[in-house]
Amino acid sequence: MATTVEQERPEAASTEEALLRQRLRRERINKLVFRFLGYVFFLGIWEFASGRILEEALIPGPTRVAQTIGDIWGRGDVPDAFRATLLRIFVGFTISFLIGAIIGIISQNRWLEGFFKDAVLVSLTAPGLIWALITAIVFGNREIGPIIAIVLTTFALVTVNVSEGIRALPKDLVDMGKAFDVGLLRRNRHIVIPHLAPYLFTGLRFGFSIAWKVTVLTEVFSSSRGIGFEMRLATQLFQTDEFLAWVLMFFFFALFLEKVVLQAFERRFFRWRQEVAAA
Amino acid sequence: MANVARKLSAPRRGVGNAFWSFMKSPGFARMLFPVAVILFWLGAMNVIISIWPFMAEVLPTPLEVWGAMWDELIDPFVDGIQAATRANVYATFGRSLIRLGAGFAIAMVLGTIIGLAMGLSKSVDAFFHDWVMAILAMPALAWALFLSLAFGFGHTGPILTVILTGIPFVIVNIREGVRNTPRELFDMARSYQVPQQRITRHVLVPSLMPFMFAAVRYAFSIGWKGLVIAEVFGGQDGAGWTIKFWYDAHRAHAVVGYAFFFILFAIVLEKIVFDPIQRRVFKWRPQITNLQLVEKMFDEPRLALDMATVADASAQPDGEGDRIDG
Repeated sequence: MATTVEQERPEAASTEEALLRQRLRRERINKLVFRFLGYVFFLGIWEFASGRILEEALIPGPTRVAQTIGDIWGRGDVPDAFRATLLRIFVGFTISFLIGAIIGIISQNRWLEGFFKDAVLVSLTAPGLIWALITAIVFGNREIGPIIAIVLTTFALVTVNVSEGIRALPKDLVDMGKAFDVGLLRRNRHIVIPHLAPYLFTGLRFGFSIAWKVTVLTEVFSSSRGIGFEMRLATQLFQTDEFLAWVLMFFFFALFLEKVVLQAFERRFFRWRQEVAAA
Repeated sequence: MANVARKLSAPRRGVGNAFWSFMKSPGFARMLFPVAVILFWLGAMNVIISIWPFMAEVLPTPLEVWGAMWDELIDPFVDGIQAATRANVYATFGRSLIRLGAGFAIAMVLGTIIGLAMGLSKSVDAFFHDWVMAILAMPALAWALFLSLAFGFGHTGPILTVILTGIPFVIVNIREGVRNTPRELFDMARSYQVPQQRITRHVLVPSLMPFMFAAVRYAFSIGWKGLVIAEVFGGQDGAGWTIKFWYDAHRAHAVVGYAFFFILFAIVLEKIVFDPIQRRVFKWRPQITNLQLVEKMFDEPRLALDMATVADASAQPDGEGDRIDG
């Protein structure tokens, strides 16, 4: 596009503008080239390592993994595993999001904030592994295990974001509400929650990025369906190519949800609020 | 304001009032939390056992858990004889920490080099960008399983897991740090012909410090979380391996007890190690809005990342040359 425009009016524009445009174009091309080189470099290392540095059984190259992805699709295991895992993430993270948001909102009260402080700290800092193991040993392979693990690892992310929002709450509006004797519930409904919406959304995105990882982790220990289970199976059968195929498939799918779907949704949702959309 | 007024008016009238103001303080609420957890624990146990009676054998009571923890803590001092298969909690955490330290050091060095290069050159940035993002989003579990398959049991898998989980956070933070260095100060130093060494020492390093600190903090804590998972699958000892050992032995009380060690370790690391350092590092520079955001979101380096990507997105369409944030 840019080239045709410039061909149409070669020396018409001021030379400064032309120079600038040229520089920008060169930069963009430069960037694309290096990006491409990056892909070539990393994929090349991976392909080279397989079979030369380590045996091919240990590190199957990208072409081999792509083939295996095709094979697995052909077997028809994929939709089942995805459905099981996504259902767990959905149920677990919905509960977690609600709990996290409620704790964040009631933490406007300083006493309650003090009460939940350590819960949030522990949830943020402790490794997800311990929740996966505890829920696995207590609940076996009942569905409630992964759900509790998801709640325990992700609710705090929502809470932290919500309390971030609470800190930025428009105090004057709340004070005015109080002065005019607006009740607690209505104040929350009409001032606090609309103000918090973008923070809730950030919490949603962060929480989701942790939730899918924890879900897969719990599935490795305690389930007989889902991505984590397939990963464990491939590991135990020592099929590295199948393992990588499962990991990469779900990785790209989760990234797609996280970066594309949620972000597009967010942009749409907040289009009416310029300052949020810009931030 | 309201709180100050309440504080001034409420207490200092008799013991009863002092008692109530203590009960109402957030500090008391914080102390109440562990009590509430134990009560909830006992209550939930009763409910679950009344539904599924066989669960009585699985569910550990707080006392059993404490017993398991006490055994781990006191073990070496009682008789000095260790079970041949396992070490006590100090030894296992020590071993894990050595692995963590090794991986962390490598991640810091490599990450700083790559991060500096990415911050300074747009070409290098384009070269690495997508791959750093991909590695950052990859779950530690994937590395742990894959590396334990590829390298077997031992040190290699866990240490490589620490490196791979930690390095993207170092890179992202250092890159942001370089991009946020105050360019005016460089220009000024140059126009006053300050030698390069002193510019590095007095301008670049101080402005990088907070980002460096954020890098250390994230890489360390994320690396730790990755390491314990890697030890579960590819270790022969260490903290992660031990909790899996109890899991495989079906000792629920020991698993929960060991989980408490992980929780305590994480809290100690946060409150006793990182918070004081943070206060020191940030003392001279009270307002770094970007970083404050990052700091509040412990374990959410993604925020830094998101800011980085937002910055990228805003820089891309108009392609301004040097981005300088205030």
